[in-house]
Amino acid sequence: MSAAQITFDRSAERARVAAERRRLATIDLVITLATILLALLIGFLVMLVVGKDPVKAYQALLTGPLSRTLRTGRWLEDATTLIILGLSVSIAFRARQFSLGAESQMYVGAMVGAVIAIYVPMPPVIAVILPLICAMVAGFLIGLIPGLMKAYLNANEIVATLMINAVVFRLYDYFLTYVFTAPGAQQIRSEAVQPNAVLARIGDIFKFNFGRVNTGVIFVVIGVILVWILLTRTPFGYEVRTIGSNEKFARYGGINTKRTIALSFAIGGAIAAMGGVHLLLGVHNRLIPGMAAGLAFEGIVVALLARNNPLLVPITGLFYSYLRVGGDIMEQEAQVGAEIVQVIQAVIILLITAQVLIDLVKARRARQTSQ
Amino acid sequence: MAEPLIEMRNITKIYSNGVRANNDVTFEVRPGEIHALVGENGAGKSTLMKILYGMEKPTSGEIMLRGKPVTINTPHEAIALGIGMVHQNFMLVPSFTIAQNIVLGSEPLQSGLVNSRKAVEATNALGKQYGLAVDPNAVVDSVPVGMRQRVEILKALYRGAEVLILDEPTAVLTPQETIELFAAIRQLVKTGKTVVFISHKLREVKEISDRVSVMRDAKMVGTVDTADTDEERIARMMVGREVFMNIRKPPTQRGDVMLKVRDLEYATEAGVEALRRVSFNVCANEILGIAGVEGNGQTELVELIAGLRAPLAGTIALAGNTIAGNTPREVRQAGCAHIPEDRLTNGVALTSSISENLIVDRYTQEPFTRGGFMNPVAIRDNGDRLIEQYGIRTPDGTLPVGSLSGGNMQKVVVARELSSQPKLLIAAQPTRGVDIGASEFMHEQLIQARNDGVAILLISADLGEVLSLSDRLAVMKDGRITAIFSDVNALTEEEVGLYMLGIKQQTEVEIEQNL
Amino acid sequence: MEQALQVIFSASFIASVLRVATPLILPALGGLISELGGVSNIALEGMMLAAACTGVLVSVYTKSAWAGMLAGVAVAMLLATLLAFFHLNLRADLILAAIALNILCSGATTFVVYLVTQSLTGSGDKGGTSTLISQQMPFIEIPIIKDIPVIGTIFSGQNILTYAALILTALVALFLFRTRIGIHLRAVGENPDAARSVGINVQGMRYLALILSGFFAGLGGVFLSMGYVKFFARDMTAGRGFIALAAVYLGAKNPWGTLIAALAFGAADALSIQLGNLKIPTQIVQMIPYIATIIALVLYAVVQRQRAINRQRKFRQAV
Repeated sequence: MSAAQITFDRSAERARVAAERRRLATIDLVITLATILLALLIGFLVMLVVGKDPVKAYQALLTGPLSRTLRTGRWLEDATTLIILGLSVSIAFRARQFSLGAESQMYVGAMVGAVIAIYVPMPPVIAVILPLICAMVAGFLIGLIPGLMKAYLNANEIVATLMINAVVFRLYDYFLTYVFTAPGAQQIRSEAVQPNAVLARIGDIFKFNFGRVNTGVIFVVIGVILVWILLTRTPFGYEVRTIGSNEKFARYGGINTKRTIALSFAIGGAIAAMGGVHLLLGVHNRLIPGMAAGLAFEGIVVALLARNNPLLVPITGLFYSYLRVGGDIMEQEAQVGAEIVQVIQAVIILLITAQVLIDLVKARRARQTSQ
Repeated sequence: MAEPLIEMRNITKIYSNGVRANNDVTFEVRPGEIHALVGENGAGKSTLMKILYGMEKPTSGEIMLRGKPVTINTPHEAIALGIGMVHQNFMLVPSFTIAQNIVLGSEPLQSGLVNSRKAVEATNALGKQYGLAVDPNAVVDSVPVGMRQRVEILKALYRGAEVLILDEPTAVLTPQETIELFAAIRQLVKTGKTVVFISHKLREVKEISDRVSVMRDAKMVGTVDTADTDEERIARMMVGREVFMNIRKPPTQRGDVMLKVRDLEYATEAGVEALRRVSFNVCANEILGIAGVEGNGQTELVELIAGLRAPLAGTIALAGNTIAGNTPREVRQAGCAHIPEDRLTNGVALTSSISENLIVDRYTQEPFTRGGFMNPVAIRDNGDRLIEQYGIRTPDGTLPVGSLSGGNMQKVVVARELSSQPKLLIAAQPTRGVDIGASEFMHEQLIQARNDGVAILLISADLGEVLSLSDRLAVMKDGRITAIFSDVNALTEEEVGLYMLGIKQQTEVEIEQNL
Repeated sequence: MEQALQVIFSASFIASVLRVATPLILPALGGLISELGGVSNIALEGMMLAAACTGVLVSVYTKSAWAGMLAGVAVAMLLATLLAFFHLNLRADLILAAIALNILCSGATTFVVYLVTQSLTGSGDKGGTSTLISQQMPFIEIPIIKDIPVIGTIFSGQNILTYAALILTALVALFLFRTRIGIHLRAVGENPDAARSVGINVQGMRYLALILSGFFAGLGGVFLSMGYVKFFARDMTAGRGFIALAAVYLGAKNPWGTLIAALAFGAADALSIQLGNLKIPTQIVQMIPYIATIIALVLYAVVQRQRAINRQRKFRQAV
């Protein structure tokens, strides 16, 4: 063997590396928290400038969701949907594909689920499982369309998924207005889903007012575990992560990149459809206009903030929902438009993606250790 | 003794990630000389020149031009001071014409708009003046590599360069084109220009330069007059130990035909012809080298065999099984391994861990995957084993590959490809950008594999390497095999160079005999 | 049915196409410049929205359409500068930062409109500024041309910004291919190392590309709320910023191709408005431009592939 025959103390090196990793992770966390604080500060200043009472507003924003069980319930219910959506997009994002099609996948899932849940009589449990499975298949197929377009035609997936969103949204509106709504009805909405299909409200089970949080929370738990296993313990997950790291390398190594990319879109679609089913069977118990109302995009942000790590998505999802619900409460109590929360969220995203801040700190450490 | 034209004093450069690329380096250039700057990869010579050209700023130290201190913050300022640089990776805009590329950044104007006619005229005038003729209206994308280098040189001259820095200029040239380049350099020096010549091809350094400066590990080791030294001594200054210039290779008996390529044809998606009726065999227990200037179809040939592209016509068979048009996975399963010429692009995934990089070709097999789930312990153990076996310098296989040096990254690639126990190994430019120590290791591994029965297809632009390692040698020019030699020992670099340039060519009958 | 066809192939329909296409042509030109400069701008949508909102509000307070226009364009360019700063100086991911900007603009515009309508009319309106009186950019009748049959209907009486869009297309083509800065911009987009090596300020060019795209997005947004209609409505851009990007790809990243593609999308949009009069449900009709875009994307990709295959085949025959 040639010159590189230096033996060094493996275990000591390993310990050093592990310690360094912990340090870097801590830095990451600290910077993330600092970013959130900074964004909240900016929001505070904006409110001050426009003549609103920022203290009252922030009191409502930051403590509102915990002030009443109804509101806490609203927070958890919103978070459930967002976490599911965040999980759905994180898969394609890990492969560096910008699939923004969660909205269309949710609507399709809700529609298909509604057809089964409203019109097909089923015994309990089946009445939840069957619509769910059908919805997930539908979501899978809808997600597959832009997936195939990107993988085999190299079409720009951002434009493709946004266009599909626009089309499906209008399809949903059309079907809801002309097919699902009974003719001559007062409101545009579908009939209620059959009682067996309803996901029981946790508040009802435990006899207190907990809003619309329902047993669909199970979906979140299952979803997180499944996605984590998928990404870290299955060959498919290995393929996705390798493609995300270097697509050419993946191809060179023998991975069928086209198939994996298309599947990443599709599987994400199936999971997003699950979110649609949660809204259908757990929250609204029927189809209503504009059900997904911007949730899909927020789900995307949740995934990004969690760095596409399925274990972190529930945390960022809960955090993001907290701000959303807090924002509504703030509007109610302090008359400050809830949209300011969107501004705060946007600032958080901007600051977090500004890599240089993290790199600066890491670089300073590197210089310290190399001297 | 002439007064120095350029003096770089006590230059130190530390990058933001802590890497010290230049450590208190002092370097001076006399007017009208050809000064070679040599060193291994990572020794710091490119960085030093980048500082001189304003592409990097020194952490400390100063630069003097004609005795006056100057600061060079951008290439723009360097150009204004008369310093021009011709880079290793050509800095050309592919969709622009040659003339447009030459005048890029200082386009001639007429009433506010760019005057393309003047650009063409200027190009022609320059070409005549320095004996470097080019077609001003050709689109750079469609022009061969040697021509592109001319464009680069003309670019520097157009901007009034008095000092020309050439970074590894002969890396992509044949011996004949190198002779032409050297003639051009001597002509430039006669007209009063000064040339700094970065290289690690010591034979050329000995031939063309007046003085040689050697760098090692970010430090300047020394400067000598070329006439007073020889290649051995320069090499020792570069490496600091005895360097074996000859590779020891025991002869072996050729085995069965492993790879059979017949009448292969290919054109790229841009419609540029790449391969015309290429045929050859590679047998077990042998290394078939393919010599040729880069850009004559070697890249495409390798990708066709590896399954990354599909041929338009022809057959490729591995151990009797057709693999033409197969996917990379199928080709690998048929027993083919591939060390890619561009490891950063194709050979590794920088942000993935070393262990994960090591299994990309076998992650669906046991023990890595069982019952649909991956086994992280098996992955880690495999990684540790290969790291040990191949001497990859890293404390931990879970670190990202990006944390390794170039030579160690190549070791990861080699470890993976060789450990798959292939029937055929394609090694494309295996020691490009790799330091001497790792290069030696690479050569040893290739010879060992060949002794163990692997058929090896070696593609290299380094003529010395390919001549030393190959049992048989083929030459590619313009997408064709123009020669196959069964007896490599009788060949000289000059002779092979003639074939590489297309001046000489074997007849079809001769090639058939040596398939 | 016949009546519908008569309407569609009439001069007034083509005139409406020009009008409907203007808020697509303008951001598309911006998207083209940023694409060629190597910095895709996905935040055209948000910039347009911000410009539309600012233009209306400033015109409410100043009673001047031009002041509104200048303010709107300025805000869009400011946002573009912000995007450029975050991406180029702070190394934020371009796509993520753009998504953040879109969210920011959507929230901020609604928030500000709510505030302003609250203070001016006593009741906050999140839907838009319909309760306020804002100005409109002028429509221009071109003398002589306006009296020519057919041509006059199409080309005279359009909004000044529509004429601007057409003229700007030519100017953009001139800029990109005949001026130094335009050439440098394209060089930076294609091979930034090459540009840097000859002393071109790569960072500066990328900034320019983004700021210019902000300029065009701003003009497009101003037209929406002060030319097309005379008010700001929540999220009124309705995806135009993304359709503009599709137009750039469809137009082969070339100014004239982009113009034609944007006109095509405008035609599809105008068509859907006409068909709406025929008792076809609006949702189906509204889908048409989006489906058209998807088909266009697929066709474009397929055509590219086919071209590549043909090029390979031609070589084979030559051999």
